[in-house]
Amino acid sequence: MRPRTPRVVDGPAVGGWAPWLFLAPLLVFAFVFFLLPLGFSVWLSFTRWNPLGAPSWVGLRQFEYLLTRDDTFWRTVVNTFVFAFGFVAIGVPLALLLAFAFSRARGKAIWRQIYYLPQLTNIVAIAYLWQFVLDDRDGLINRALGAIGLRGPDWLTDPTMAMVSVVLVMIWYDAGKNMLIFSAALDGVDRAIYDAATLDGAGAWRTLRSVTLPIIRPAFTFVTITSFITGMGFFSLILAMTGGGPRGATEVTALYTYRMAFEDLRMGRASAGALILFAIIGALSLLQFRALRERSR
Amino acid sequence: MLHQRMAALACGLALGTPVAAIAQDGPLTVAMHYTQEQAAPLLACLDAYEADGVTAEYQQISYRDYLQTVLTGRLGGQSPDIYNVYSIWAAQMVDNGVLDAPPVAVSKLVSETYSAGTVDAVTIDGTVWGVPTEVSAYMLVSNMALLREAGYDAPPATWEELREIARTVTARNEQGRIETAGFAFADSSSGAGFVHPFYALLYSEGARPYSDDFSEANLDGPEAEAALERMAELVGDGITDLSVDAYDFPAGGIGMMIMANWLESEIRAGFGDSFEEDVVVSPIPAGADWRTLQYAFFMGVDSNSDRKEAAWDLVRHLNAPREDGPSCMGEMLSGLGALTANTADNAAMGEPDAFTAPYLAALEEGRAVSQPNVMQAAEIEGMMAQTFERVLAGDAEAGPALESLDGEVEDILFEFY
Amino acid sequence: MSAPDPIVAGETAGVAATRRLLSGGALRRHAGGVLKYALLALGAGLMILPFADMFVGALRGPADVYANPPRYLPSEPQWGVYARVFAELPMTRWFANSVIVTGLITAAQVATSVTAGYALAKYEFRGRASIFQLVVGAQMFPFFLFIIPIFFLLRFVPLMGGNDIAGQGGSGLLGTYAALCLPFIVTWYGVFLMRQFFMGIPDDLMEAARLDGASEYRIFRSIMLPLVKPAIATLTLFSFVYHWNEFIWTMTVTRSAPELQTLPVGIYLLQGAFESLDQKSLQQAALAVSILPVIVVFLALQRLFAASDTANAWQGGK
Repeated sequence: MRPRTPRVVDGPAVGGWAPWLFLAPLLVFAFVFFLLPLGFSVWLSFTRWNPLGAPSWVGLRQFEYLLTRDDTFWRTVVNTFVFAFGFVAIGVPLALLLAFAFSRARGKAIWRQIYYLPQLTNIVAIAYLWQFVLDDRDGLINRALGAIGLRGPDWLTDPTMAMVSVVLVMIWYDAGKNMLIFSAALDGVDRAIYDAATLDGAGAWRTLRSVTLPIIRPAFTFVTITSFITGMGFFSLILAMTGGGPRGATEVTALYTYRMAFEDLRMGRASAGALILFAIIGALSLLQFRALRERSR
Repeated sequence: MLHQRMAALACGLALGTPVAAIAQDGPLTVAMHYTQEQAAPLLACLDAYEADGVTAEYQQISYRDYLQTVLTGRLGGQSPDIYNVYSIWAAQMVDNGVLDAPPVAVSKLVSETYSAGTVDAVTIDGTVWGVPTEVSAYMLVSNMALLREAGYDAPPATWEELREIARTVTARNEQGRIETAGFAFADSSSGAGFVHPFYALLYSEGARPYSDDFSEANLDGPEAEAALERMAELVGDGITDLSVDAYDFPAGGIGMMIMANWLESEIRAGFGDSFEEDVVVSPIPAGADWRTLQYAFFMGVDSNSDRKEAAWDLVRHLNAPREDGPSCMGEMLSGLGALTANTADNAAMGEPDAFTAPYLAALEEGRAVSQPNVMQAAEIEGMMAQTFERVLAGDAEAGPALESLDGEVEDILFEFY
Repeated sequence: MSAPDPIVAGETAGVAATRRLLSGGALRRHAGGVLKYALLALGAGLMILPFADMFVGALRGPADVYANPPRYLPSEPQWGVYARVFAELPMTRWFANSVIVTGLITAAQVATSVTAGYALAKYEFRGRASIFQLVVGAQMFPFFLFIIPIFFLLRFVPLMGGNDIAGQGGSGLLGTYAALCLPFIVTWYGVFLMRQFFMGIPDDLMEAARLDGASEYRIFRSIMLPLVKPAIATLTLFSFVYHWNEFIWTMTVTRSAPELQTLPVGIYLLQGAFESLDQKSLQQAALAVSILPVIVVFLALQRLFAASDTANAWQGGK
């Protein structure tokens, strides 16, 4: 991601104060809504604070409590992984498959509009629409399965199925967007390369493996990592769809810390929890990035 | 640059105009969980209200999020003037200094006009914190159409009979999914659908969930285990499961449920003309010494309100009987099929209908025991609900699950008592 | 703060190319074609399914929901439900708030992204590399990290909303539209996107204008800005969609300020009104009303950018 250096007419001073003026809103914002909150958050994580009173300094106690004594915290971390992993492992290949079909199909405008619908829909509506569709007894899916003599699963009341349901809905929500990213990458492939491959007598499978996939690898890396980061921190869908239930089966860490803050008024512990989650996400994204880059060499 | 200036200007404009509702001269805000439709009679009173230039308006806060909304509002310094508080939220609100202690005239009014059990529900550490409004109790509600079809002419009198009837009523479709459930628990987000029937059964066993000083929980005793076993065996019998919901009772697919009176208007809507004939309310079949649970809401005033006196005046106005009938609150509650412990209102409203009468009788006969006003009650009941749900789902045994629940609850009690 | 999502693909000349290279055996192509459309159609069906379910559900009446078992198809469609949505719910207020908040944020984001992106792409100055790194790096910070601290920063703004000079005593900026807009007036992703676009514009234009003695502002306003119109359309669309649908932050700061709630937040916090069986159709109709405006705006705006090579913006940044 190295920026190209623009050519400059007469030395680095061109424009003088102009760039700084153009950048002023960004710089003020970066201080007030990025650096300051991050610093505040770190400071809070070393305190115990019910905001109706005054904060008190407790050092590392919140981290210690979350990491060593709070079983629920670890359970939510596991749930977070399952959610993010399921989302990436099923969602990304599926989007790629759809992109292969889409990039060679007619009537693209229509397909694109249909597949982009979920992206245009607010997450509360998505959660509720699927609650209706997945209702154990009266939902459209279980009614349809019942009509052909099958007993549909308890989509939202069985703990395992509830996790499956939120993962599937999350995939549904994002599939169209990722499909369009992949298809843009596929369209960018120079046809001369394909022609060359065909001339060399490469079959479809070989062309796919040794020409197409390497070329879209950057898109693949991008989608995988952003999906992973999104999945690890996403909780609005779960909040509205299952509320973390049944019996805590879909409670993810971001939701847990949000509730800790705004329901139990434990701001210090909630900040610590959010920072731990962020550290986990950061470390794993870095590892992923390395791994995906290595393989492309 | 133009865009940028416009945006800065726009946000600047917005910035300079805090919303009127928090300004001093706005109307008094009354925050309740009832929908506008449910609260229509009260809204009429609020619209008509004008005392010394003070007016009033209504704000609906979702029941499930009420406590969270109140506390978040406090963090942001944006609070309504008047609350309608569910008693299990009260201890936490008092502890965080959210509520204003009422003037003597109001406390006196409360102890004179309301029945003793209900006054208990609004008392914390010896202080009355507001004027009781809606009272609810639990009873067994039966769909007699289904019971008769299964060959029973009366609701069950014993727990064994309840199981037997429920087994007969239950019908499954070809895929084995319950189509008509003999019994159902309510799938409420707060967990009340499990916790409240549990309390009723626990009280019927002659036990209480806490010691008198709240220093200990009593959830690992044999009574608690017996109460939870009773609930679990209904699932074990295949009479009900967690995909069945008591809120579906109005649709006619549920034989019996242990439910509060406030569902009446909806059951009525579902049953239509056959309501009188087909819906019967009877005692919870848990022996001669059966008891049930009652809980109460009360109207309190925010301690940060800059017009506390005016707010208390409005509270009194809304709960005082009017010349031509019950109080504004009383009229609204009776429209909902809800109960009030306001003796003046109950006198003004005359005879209750056949659905409501057994609930009122339970309150009057002292069968209905108050829900305990313990600190963190909402959090504790959430934990209880999760434990009960695990046991009902067959993921855990009642005994060990209750034992570990008891430990967790005592950890919380330890912080406060 | 978290960015609207990047890419809408515009199909390019590559399509024809890919189509041509499939020409290995007519039969195989035929089978592949059927499979391809079957897959797309199946996916499309799933995409539409919940929306169709919503429109059907909104029309059910009490007779349908109180039947045992409840009827799926409405026996007598209740078209009046859409009028009820506006009569029984504060829909107009939610709608107005959604429009105001989304409009302010979108305008601010476009303005700040264009200016900052331009500066980062077209000027050489000390600190540029660090600022660009900040723009890229900040995108990695998930939004949940900021909810708690920004909530309290806004709460304790001195001298606002009844606060004293130390930020105590009042509500700060909470309870104002500012609390809904300010945390979003810059989008890191938008800055990044605009920078990529400006990078693609040759410097010669700027240099020529400079030699003619045009001011820096004039160069930006009259020469550069018109060239990135497609990118501005794209960013406008993304900002609009993202913030029309934004939920968690708005809910957190408007929970106790109903006069500021937007459509998704209002519907979420009013769940209590939808619990009884015969109110479900009202809920489904309200959801439909919350969804439709975005779809309309999308269809109207997408013509503006579909032709542009939006995808290349991302390609340039990979």
